[in-house]
Amino acid sequence: MTIFDKTFKEILIFQIISILGGLIVGTILAVYTDKIFIIPSMLIIIPGILQMRENISGSFASRLSSGLFLKVIKPNKTQTKIIKGNLYASFFLAILTSLMIGLIAFFFNYLFTHTILFKIIMIPLIAGIIANTIEIPLTLFTTLYLFKKGYDPNNIMGPFVTSTGDIISILSILITMMII
Amino acid sequence: MKIIKPLEELRKINRKNYHPIINHIHKKHKISRKTLFYIKEYGSHSNVPKTIIKESIKIVLFASILSTIGGFGLEYIKSIFISIIPLLILLPTLNDLIGDYGAIASSKFSIMLYENKINKKWWLNKELRKLFAQILILSIITAICSSILALIISKYVGYSLNASFAMKIIALTLLDVVLITAILFLVVIIAGIHFYNKKEDPNNFLIPITTSIADFGNMVILSFLVILFF
Repeated sequence: MTIFDKTFKEILIFQIISILGGLIVGTILAVYTDKIFIIPSMLIIIPGILQMRENISGSFASRLSSGLFLKVIKPNKTQTKIIKGNLYASFFLAILTSLMIGLIAFFFNYLFTHTILFKIIMIPLIAGIIANTIEIPLTLFTTLYLFKKGYDPNNIMGPFVTSTGDIISILSILITMMII
Repeated sequence: MKIIKPLEELRKINRKNYHPIINHIHKKHKISRKTLFYIKEYGSHSNVPKTIIKESIKIVLFASILSTIGGFGLEYIKSIFISIIPLLILLPTLNDLIGDYGAIASSKFSIMLYENKINKKWWLNKELRKLFAQILILSIITAICSSILALIISKYVGYSLNASFAMKIIALTLLDVVLITAILFLVVIIAGIHFYNKKEDPNNFLIPITTSIADFGNMVILSFLVILFF
């Protein structure tokens, strides 16, 4: 049983990339602490938003990988029923989840501070839409590209989705905060 | 390719119906029943977005709720937490690392299930044992690396550190990552077998479950360790 095989190296390389992505986001949080955390419940919203990319884009990549390995999905064909269906479902779930995160944060903020802040609903909703508009197509094309190049997307897409998703999500939150 | 025609026939069958063609293809072409299940699940007679949404919606919403609840722990200790800059820098990384190991274990275990490699005595499966060993070693390496990098960044942005504080951060990170990764691996196996036996695509369930447990567990343990250590 060789533990330090090709799979181990692939996962390690992409986990290092994931660490760097996470540290970039952490540094942004540390630098913009006074701006981000001035809005109540941001420590409730941020983990929810950051986690969403893996629930949605991660599952999406995993379904694509299974389909590619089982030859149900062809890496050169993107205009197929199964891929389109996956895209629609992922977008729908992303919007619904963003709204849910906003509502939960709003509810708990009201419960503890008795203040009504609709911004708390709008921030995750708009940030979720912006982030997933970029993240979902990026996941699709990267999964197909990696498979075509002979890599196992299962080893790479998890860390890829989290690192790119984190940066895209936190930037989307900052953009949304500037917009509203 | 003789196999293509029967697979196309299989795809046209309503996803809710069992059809003898599955047994026929399985026996004649030696394709796992689980592989055939995936092909039928997303066949031409199934509404792909509806199938995914229907199977995923509950678990995705559950995961979001769990994750936001995990955030309450940190919101509760907000003032302490955001004052410990290395931990603030590490928060997304820790969520990523643990979530990644959950996602890798989930997707690899799903494929093992589809390929019919997992039987009742799953703990004796060599491939699964190897995957566990790999993920555990990787979690130790990455936890140490990320905590050291976070300390370096903290120092760079002007946060004052000492050796004892640095050791606390490294120990806290290592404990957090290894503990939750091991729990996640067990959850992946138990939940994966459960959903697979229910004839659902494990991909739709395992990743949301593992990532939410990763985030929730990470934030709860982190909050606990922050209170304990600082």
